[in-house]
Amino acid sequence: MANANEGPQRICMKLYAAETGIGDQVYVPIFQEWIRDQALDGLVLFDVADYAHVPDSPGIVLVTHEATFALDRSDGRFGLLAQRRVNGKGDAVDTVASTLRQMLQVASKLEADPRLGGKLEFDRSVIRIEANDRLRAPNTEEGYRVLEPVVKKAVTAVLADKAPKVSRVPNDPRDRLAADVRVAP
Amino acid sequence: MAEEIDEFEAQMGLRKQEKIEEKVFAELRLRRGAYGQRYDNGHRYDGTRTQEIAFPRRGLTKGPDTEFDAPGMQRIKIPFGKMTAEQLEVLADCAEEYSNGILHITTRQDVQLHFVDIEDTPDMHRRLGAVGITTREACGNSVRNVTGCPLAGICTTEEFDISPYARAEFLFLLGHPDVQDFGRKFKISYSGCSGEGCGRAMMHDLGFIAAVRTVNGQPEHGFRVVVGGGLGPVPHLAKELYAFMPESQMLPVSQAISRVYARLGEKRNRAKARIKFLVAQLTIEKFRELVDAELAALEPDPRWQEWVDQAEKAAQEFLPAPVTNDGAKPAPGFEEWASTNVYDQRQKEFVAATVNLPLGDITSRQSRKLADIMRKYVNDALRTTVDQNLLIRWVWRQDLVSLYNDLYEAKLVLSGAGTITDVTSCPGTDTCKLGISSSRGLSAELRARLEARSLQFDKTLKHVQIKVSGCNNSCGQHHVADIGFYGSSRNIGAYKVPHFLLLLGGALEDNAGNYGLAIGAIPSKRAPETVDRLLDLYSAERLDGEMFRAWVMRVGKKAVKEKIQDLMEVPPYEQDKSFYVDWHDSREYSIGDIGVGECAGEVITLTEFSIASAESKLFDASITVDDTNATQADLQEASRQAYLAMVLASLGLLKTRNPDAKNDPDQVFEDFKRLFIDTKLFFERYIGSQEWPYFQAAHEAKGASRDRDEARRRVEEAQLFIDASHACYARLRQTTVGGSPAVSAALPS
Repeated sequence: MANANEGPQRICMKLYAAETGIGDQVYVPIFQEWIRDQALDGLVLFDVADYAHVPDSPGIVLVTHEATFALDRSDGRFGLLAQRRVNGKGDAVDTVASTLRQMLQVASKLEADPRLGGKLEFDRSVIRIEANDRLRAPNTEEGYRVLEPVVKKAVTAVLADKAPKVSRVPNDPRDRLAADVRVAP
Repeated sequence: MAEEIDEFEAQMGLRKQEKIEEKVFAELRLRRGAYGQRYDNGHRYDGTRTQEIAFPRRGLTKGPDTEFDAPGMQRIKIPFGKMTAEQLEVLADCAEEYSNGILHITTRQDVQLHFVDIEDTPDMHRRLGAVGITTREACGNSVRNVTGCPLAGICTTEEFDISPYARAEFLFLLGHPDVQDFGRKFKISYSGCSGEGCGRAMMHDLGFIAAVRTVNGQPEHGFRVVVGGGLGPVPHLAKELYAFMPESQMLPVSQAISRVYARLGEKRNRAKARIKFLVAQLTIEKFRELVDAELAALEPDPRWQEWVDQAEKAAQEFLPAPVTNDGAKPAPGFEEWASTNVYDQRQKEFVAATVNLPLGDITSRQSRKLADIMRKYVNDALRTTVDQNLLIRWVWRQDLVSLYNDLYEAKLVLSGAGTITDVTSCPGTDTCKLGISSSRGLSAELRARLEARSLQFDKTLKHVQIKVSGCNNSCGQHHVADIGFYGSSRNIGAYKVPHFLLLLGGALEDNAGNYGLAIGAIPSKRAPETVDRLLDLYSAERLDGEMFRAWVMRVGKKAVKEKIQDLMEVPPYEQDKSFYVDWHDSREYSIGDIGVGECAGEVITLTEFSIASAESKLFDASITVDDTNATQADLQEASRQAYLAMVLASLGLLKTRNPDAKNDPDQVFEDFKRLFIDTKLFFERYIGSQEWPYFQAAHEAKGASRDRDEARRRVEEAQLFIDASHACYARLRQTTVGGSPAVSAALPS
């Protein structure tokens, strides 16, 4: 487990998108096929969870050993939520960076799927990144001071954006510590 | 508690070094509520073939055939469903960090989290422990969550509030030395009255039903004690152990029963290890003698009385005054919601409001909002319910509209609680290792369709209860529904087809004291249509005020079956492939690369024919045992027919080896034992056969039964044996038709 100085290993991130008007069940066969073909680099895919019956929920979830990828509305907005399931191999920056790469991979693959008819398009200019670990990364100023540099380094490494704008998301203190990253188009 | 969790963490470390046997570690983690989950054997069928899941530490296990890196399910005990706002918040945090942000409420008032990494469980247990929640003995061969009526203390029909007694029972038995050596799990329930179904005492291993008697002109609190109930593959109604037991004897009676069960209950054969089998075997009279003897011999324990004394001092749950004036304008849907989700408490100034959770699920964020709402209106007065919902109690009537408006903002105002649209479902094939069909997929489909039709339903139609289980283990409590389904599979041509076995006419009333009648297997994709047809028939044929169960009993299951017979048919694969895929899944529901050979096809036909004959024979027997006018001779004949149905199913399997096999029962039994039992061909991998002993017992008795209960049980057992025969046949075809020599090699010449 990482300590507070290293930043959180257990993280979430989300790319937002406009609602497509396509029912959630369309994602089930897509994810089932991906599992069959083990279609994502660096991930062990093995299950699909369906919470589409719950309002503002994770919806349809692709489960991999490393992370889950949900067509999520749990914060009231539709998007792709990636949630790290197990600790990464490196430090917190590596974990955030690898999860970001994986999420972008999933996003691109979904956008290209013909069953979605080009209706799904993620907004890559803002990325929500959250520490999903209240024990080691509490939703406090101190917690944010640890998270912010981790996020900046990871985003820079992945997107080659030398100056991503990172800002803390004001939210319920009981929610996850969260930051929005605005990147150059 | 902290020491126990530390110890568990250390045990996990030892297991990773393989210094603890996997079997031992499995039981250790089960006793901490850390259960397995589907695909944790490291394999998954992808619709075309079974693939190995490349977990990083492949081969490191946390139990037999259970990969260490595979996610699991965490069951969390919520005794009699009572939960505080703080506890709800911590559960929400745990769901978000260790699971996928969903809390699942079970039919036994537990909370379950899925997709949990076992490495996270010690931290999770500590966080839960910090707010007074334990996962200890949530699984394994132990005393499971003690359940109780969620309306306890506010109910209009209860004798008295059972909450403090259920709490005492939970605390007394948790970790008690006398409950550590059971052969199977042990479930206890507390009910406040005898007529309603909230407590469901009659389907529990041990049930306490509140009762009051008058002694010297003074009321005395106590309980009617029932024992040996249970659902599962072979359902039993509990039997009365004591008509009245004073409250002071509640804990010693529980202890004495536990001691008898630990001493005499079956340990080796899991299929016969629940206390219901012991009670049936001994008879309730003999069982009572044994409990009385244990009671007389028990060393007195001061806790027996201390907790009863505490029970008299139950804390006040409600706020001192309303927090709003009554001028709030209701958000849309209030009237409909209030008509189904609001309960008028015995205390006239208060109501209780049900948060109807679709399939028992609530998100972490919704849970935090609900915690805020609790603090605002009722403090900690929340209960999980056995219908997989949440009940907010002690709402000042004046606050109801404001409460609704806040729930509306949290998207927690689904109406129809406790009605036909509030379909109960176990996890089924979504996450359960034992699931056969997609109970959640079907339930979600039924909910959506019934909600769309709900305006057409009058009061008696809305009262119809639907419950779905993914297999015959009954976690969805299908036996006590008006319309119950449990998952099954059938072979059609070269393919497997998901099915649900339909039961009709169960009832929650009388503490879940009436179990449904098995009608037959319905293809999964036709289950919604079947429900529609049944509701239409009931609407058209019911007498004035006649409830669904009464209609089924009056019309008779044979007549009902005739009217839905066409829905039991499955079109050929080439004609409609959708029947060969389960709900909310896209994978073909099949076991792999099955081909159809000419020769195999001939033999298959004989086998299927024989098993179908077995089902037909059994159906007739089941009608007889359900007939209240059946004579002893009729029941004997039904029991014999059930036995002969098992003979026929066995004969069907024998025909895969010898198409000319004859139907002499003795010969069939001997051949079946030699070719399918001694070779273990009939056995499910790793779990053996629970059904073979049913055939053995029936054969030894030559189909005879002592009484109606035993005849009915024989019929239930025969149904399971037939289901197992279907499964065995599917396995045989998978291995033989696909060309594997495994089966042939295993067969004696």
